[in-house]
Amino acid sequence: MVLYYLLPKNTRWFLLLLASYFFYGFWKIEYLSLIVISTTTDYFAARLIYSSKAQVKRKLALAFSLSMNLGLLAFFKYSGWFIEDVANPVGLLGDDVSLKLMRFMSFALPVGISFYTFQTMGYTIDVYYGKATPERNPLKFALFVSYFPQLVAGPIERFNTLMPQLNREVSYDYRNIQHGARYILYGLFIKMCIADNLAPIVDQIFNQPDIASSSQLVWGMILFGLQIYSDFHGYSLIAIGVAKLMGVDLMKNFDAPYSSLSIREFWSRWHISLSTWFRDYLFIPLGGSRVSTLKLTVNIMAVFLISGLWHGANWTFVVWGALHGLAYLGERWFLSSDTKNTLSVPRWIATMAVVFIAWIFFRSDSINDATLYIARMFAWESGSLSISWDPVLISLLGLFLLSDIHFRNRDFDEWLQTKSSLQRWSVYGLLIFCTTALSGTVNHPFIYFQF
Amino acid sequence: MVILRKIAAVFLVLVISGWIFDRYLLRDFLDDHAEQKLQVEKIKNCDVVYMSASSNFPQYGDDDTRKISQMVASYFPNQRFEAINKPASHAGVFKRLMNSFPENSEVSTFIITINLRSFGADWIYSELESSLNKANLMYSNRPAIINRVLIGLQAYESLTEEERTSLRNEYWDDQTLPVSDALISVNKWCAEYKWGDWKNPKRQLADQFIKQYAIIIQEDNPRIQDLDALVHEAQHSGVNLLFHILPENLEKADSLVGSDLVEIMKDNAQFIEERYSSKGIIVVNNIDLVPSESFTDKDFPTEHYDQRGRQAVASSVAQQLKKL
Repeated sequence: MVLYYLLPKNTRWFLLLLASYFFYGFWKIEYLSLIVISTTTDYFAARLIYSSKAQVKRKLALAFSLSMNLGLLAFFKYSGWFIEDVANPVGLLGDDVSLKLMRFMSFALPVGISFYTFQTMGYTIDVYYGKATPERNPLKFALFVSYFPQLVAGPIERFNTLMPQLNREVSYDYRNIQHGARYILYGLFIKMCIADNLAPIVDQIFNQPDIASSSQLVWGMILFGLQIYSDFHGYSLIAIGVAKLMGVDLMKNFDAPYSSLSIREFWSRWHISLSTWFRDYLFIPLGGSRVSTLKLTVNIMAVFLISGLWHGANWTFVVWGALHGLAYLGERWFLSSDTKNTLSVPRWIATMAVVFIAWIFFRSDSINDATLYIARMFAWESGSLSISWDPVLISLLGLFLLSDIHFRNRDFDEWLQTKSSLQRWSVYGLLIFCTTALSGTVNHPFIYFQF
Repeated sequence: MVILRKIAAVFLVLVISGWIFDRYLLRDFLDDHAEQKLQVEKIKNCDVVYMSASSNFPQYGDDDTRKISQMVASYFPNQRFEAINKPASHAGVFKRLMNSFPENSEVSTFIITINLRSFGADWIYSELESSLNKANLMYSNRPAIINRVLIGLQAYESLTEEERTSLRNEYWDDQTLPVSDALISVNKWCAEYKWGDWKNPKRQLADQFIKQYAIIIQEDNPRIQDLDALVHEAQHSGVNLLFHILPENLEKADSLVGSDLVEIMKDNAQFIEERYSSKGIIVVNNIDLVPSESFTDKDFPTEHYDQRGRQAVASSVAQQLKKL
């Protein structure tokens, strides 16, 4: 960051590009080629779409871009699953062929591939619909695709909001450092103190559901919901903070999702950059809400099922998406959209029941594991699993949940800005102490890195 | 200037956090994650420290339930003996522990146990390494809060199961060993072994013996580098070192796999003995001291001995220790 501000303003973007490629290549240098392929494809496709007047040419360029991006995603993320769980059980391929293909495809999933392919596809679609003007400088466009704070797990940014900021010549401003540092500190607290402390308990319960009691399984489900939220929310805040240090604003990705009174509201508060991406680039092009009931039903289910598959190549994610889709449709058909006229507590309980039960599928290795977990959870059985409840963790969790409700529809940074110096430093002190002395001790990488 | 003032303020908060952590949380944390550090505090004023993995412990059914370290101590009634035991420990852990003894410690001699398996891929890439690496961070002589932050940030090596399996197999595929006048890899040796199919327990045990002991220990082995560091540290701080190469079940290795493996094991022990004897360290090479019947684990190669085995080991170590 020091180097960033020491460099002349018009060269800083190039340092960011180098840093972004170094950041991604540091993990596995071979996979840099995938970003280069995505970048090159969309750079030329968008320019061709923009400059061409013939609709066929434009469509072909768009189709080429989408096929390349989705092809890469399909090959690296879904091919192994397709062979093992889809083609093999129905005998589409012989055993020998399957085995050889599986061995050939036993490579690691490139980190962040689902995020940057969606970001770059969004750009090409925007250019196609005339919502964006293509970037002329290929290296600056490469920075848009690979911008390191949000490269591996989002937020998935839009070209029209991120690119102008990357093109802008940013002057050093102490306030950017201050705001960025606050987001980073709060993000570290949420990731290291909440998510990393919950991880071992959740692992313990999900790894041995057969000896856990029903109440422990209920807790396991709730704690996983809190773990994945704090893990991903914490990461998003750190990413927002790092970008802010360099004067770039990334979009808010979470806004107290567990306070939602409906599945629809949940998706407006959970992983906002992805849900708005699906809304703008899938749901609306499919016709949005102004279609027949049957088509709307199909479209909504398609969006949720694809959203499930986006998370991972496993039937569990498909079921997770399907549960959300069905609940969303159920709300649309049977419940009033006006939440003010309905009892909020029962509605909140019903919404959270769907969200948390669906998390069981998300966390389980297979549908079978998930159904066994749920069956045992509702059987109300005792178990022999011993779990120690650390009072420090319970206090941290309480602190996190209270603050999350407090910051609903608000921003942590803006809230701090209104406080006195003493109050601000009390908050910093508390967060620094918790992050340094009370963080989790088990090695647990960011959950969303695997997607 | 504003930013410098804020950095100073953050530093102050860190110092206060460190003080609170040291005073109220450190002991419980060490108890959970690095209990040997607490042990070091307790035993820093003894004369001799015996460092070992699980080989020190008595076994079920023994009449004499003393540890090896207690048996050795019985030969030196006027000396204060203590032991630090941590299952799966090795020279890398002992190195950190020795470094964590304070400068004013009264310890004059460290006995370091060495088992040959700890030099092999199965141990180097064991899943237990992650927790040992984590504990190692707490043994570092930095302010405890810094070590605690590094643990929170997971700034220690922790391989995934896939990574470990891949590294082990790579090692077992790449390293070649002299077997029946030819050079073959560990995996090939296991594959060619003639105890019948994989379900045969004898074949499984033979396989384990090959994987645990079929190594050529050389200077670049991480455990050798750890032992070198131990020697360097001992010479620097003026304490005595005694390296004790633990007995291995040579008879079983011979009957299951053959003399090639036994020769490799003996050569490795000799390599260690010669390397460190030449540096002025007393090395007790007990590789063939204990008969097969005294090894208590029958389905996996370990260094767990019954009371007769432990007594023999203790007597041998005590004889050499008298030279110091």
